[in-house]
Amino acid sequence: MSLAQGGRRRSAGSRPPEHPPPPGRSIHRATTGLLLLLVALVLLSLVIGTGGSPVGRAWDFLLGDPAARADAQIRLAVMDVRLPRTLAALLVGTCLGAAGCLLQAATRNPLAETGLLGVNSGAAFAVVVGLTSFGADSPGALLVWALAGGMAAGAVVLLFAGSGRTAGSPLRLVLAGSALGATFHGCTSYVLLGTSSTFDTYRYWTIGSLAGVEISDLVPLLPLAALGLLTALLCTRPLSALGLGDDGARSLGHHPGRIRLVVTGAVSLLAGCAVAVAGPIAFLGLLAPYAARALTGPRMTAQLVLSALIAADIMLLADILARIVIRPWETPVSVLLAFVGGPLLVWIARSSKLSTAGAEA
Amino acid sequence: MTDPTTAPARHFPEAPRPGAVDVTPPDSTVLRGGTLSWLLPRRSVLAAALLLPAVVVLTALAVMASSTGMSLSDTLSGLLGTGDPGTVMIVRDFRLPRVFAGLMVGAALGIAGCLTQTLAGNRLATPDLVGVNDGATAAVVAAAAGSTTGMVGAWWLGPIGAVAAAAVVVLCAGGAGSAGYRVLVTGIGVSTFIGAVSDLIMSRENDNTAGGVFLWAVGSLNGRDWAVGTPLALVLLLLVPLALAVGHRLQLLRFDDDVAASLGVDLRRLRAVALALAVALAGTAVGVGGPIAFVALAAPILAQRLAGPTRVPVTGSALTGAALIAAADALGRVAAPVELPVGVVTSVLGGPFLLWVLLRPDRATGKA
Repeated sequence: MSLAQGGRRRSAGSRPPEHPPPPGRSIHRATTGLLLLLVALVLLSLVIGTGGSPVGRAWDFLLGDPAARADAQIRLAVMDVRLPRTLAALLVGTCLGAAGCLLQAATRNPLAETGLLGVNSGAAFAVVVGLTSFGADSPGALLVWALAGGMAAGAVVLLFAGSGRTAGSPLRLVLAGSALGATFHGCTSYVLLGTSSTFDTYRYWTIGSLAGVEISDLVPLLPLAALGLLTALLCTRPLSALGLGDDGARSLGHHPGRIRLVVTGAVSLLAGCAVAVAGPIAFLGLLAPYAARALTGPRMTAQLVLSALIAADIMLLADILARIVIRPWETPVSVLLAFVGGPLLVWIARSSKLSTAGAEA
Repeated sequence: MTDPTTAPARHFPEAPRPGAVDVTPPDSTVLRGGTLSWLLPRRSVLAAALLLPAVVVLTALAVMASSTGMSLSDTLSGLLGTGDPGTVMIVRDFRLPRVFAGLMVGAALGIAGCLTQTLAGNRLATPDLVGVNDGATAAVVAAAAGSTTGMVGAWWLGPIGAVAAAAVVVLCAGGAGSAGYRVLVTGIGVSTFIGAVSDLIMSRENDNTAGGVFLWAVGSLNGRDWAVGTPLALVLLLLVPLALAVGHRLQLLRFDDDVAASLGVDLRRLRAVALALAVALAGTAVGVGGPIAFVALAAPILAQRLAGPTRVPVTGSALTGAALIAAADALGRVAAPVELPVGVVTSVLGGPFLLWVLLRPDRATGKA
């Protein structure tokens, strides 16, 4: 990645490196700050919303005020509408942040995002097939189709990427993912061109929204997401070794191809859960690791944790904004995510930290 | 001591000195004629020589291909104007301009993809990352939403939207020459933003408009006639030679800025020019054919396979792109009972095709 290296060299020249701040402390500070922000956003997410329930009343309900607890309307708004949404935003954000971080490290490509593994387009194709051929139109049914399609697509990409003489090489992963992703995308377009009624449902699904999510939809996803996150954490050490280059990793006793395949398996699990809940939101999986890398530098575990935290924060913020921007209507969360995240990514790209981020490539 | 930059070239011996080190690159032949010499890259010339007839054959097939079946002699007589008037009209007024537009769209996408991939040193870097597709789509969507008929507007809206979006990207990134990578990442941010604006507009439109824009956004060459093909050809006539010249210089990107400066090249300006060319080419192509998926990504990769790893395969990418579009357009007309838009065919078949290429490792480079 000659350009990135050139950028690093230049910025290293402009900033004297004699007294670099100890990175550990700034990472801790960032983690604490993001966690506090997350708690604040969760509380906000529970008290803010439409439906004739004022913020103060919801706050009383959370504090356990008996009068508010007895109010059925507030209970409905907080417990049955806002709590599932909040949990869904946390789940989607954490999954996408972690998945994006892993994928960018495994493919050594800072432009990689979770949609790359074909998970998003596979999910979209499955949703369209479910809509046209199997009459699935409830949010719960679409969620099941999306999950199944996303995971199946991820598995196919893994099969292709893991075969052949150069099994598991970064370029092979990236290209197999975008090739199959394009194929699924084309199949989706083909089906949609024929049936306009499906297109109408599809265009709302693809915009993505957390409205109407129910706890019962989320529960089956939790073990999958947990498995993905656990694998992700276990993979951080081998992935750090991969940062030394394939030969370096081999000399430490790792198998680069095998690590990448396990990692991409975890990524498709995580991205599958996210796409099932919130539709194909690819952007967050690119943005959060980028921001995390700007804060942590090359430390893999810190990167993973911060990336998940940042993504959860952004997702919650976007969902809260989605409820209040054009009250009393809802804005699609992916649109708000783009409105919040687009400028944020531009800002990170412009900040001096980019040199550290690009050097990973 | 003579300054080497001002020393006249005739001080150097015209024939290689006996015992001089041969500095000819391994896959090249030097052609000499008097004081002129030309480094002929054997492998990429061979690749072009193979690709050119492939494009010609595919073009012929694309002109012939129809759901009703048209024989070679019918096509020829239509082309020459000797056949029955119906055939002549189909071949000359519908098929030929459309295939022609498709070839140019493919070439433009291929070159644009080649330039961006080389600029970023990243196989995933396509022009749509700098906002070309989203800018063009936003312009078309805004026009469709504004009109009462819900019809998709004129093709030139695409390039204008694309160039505007790319200009915003470059402004936000703080200049195109600064670092290719910063432009790309900024481009993703900006194009996500612009895409969200189009999504927002679309979610408030009725089904008719949404369907019309969707058909355009899949990428289709349907109804592209000489009124589109002629200005497109003029634009490409201007841009492609520039791209060829720039592509040749882009091989210097392997060096860093200081080395390049000592070779007399301003890499920042080179990057800026290459990016501008990529945006202009891709924007024009998107305006004519819609954001046809995959060609800008796959054509340079395939061309690189053919041309070998040391080249920036601009010509090869153009030919590969043109061949891909011609083949996809022809297939879309015969493969299904209804005509498939070219974008659907490129993405459905392009994926497996690229995989097939990937599964056969390149013998010459050993790379996947």
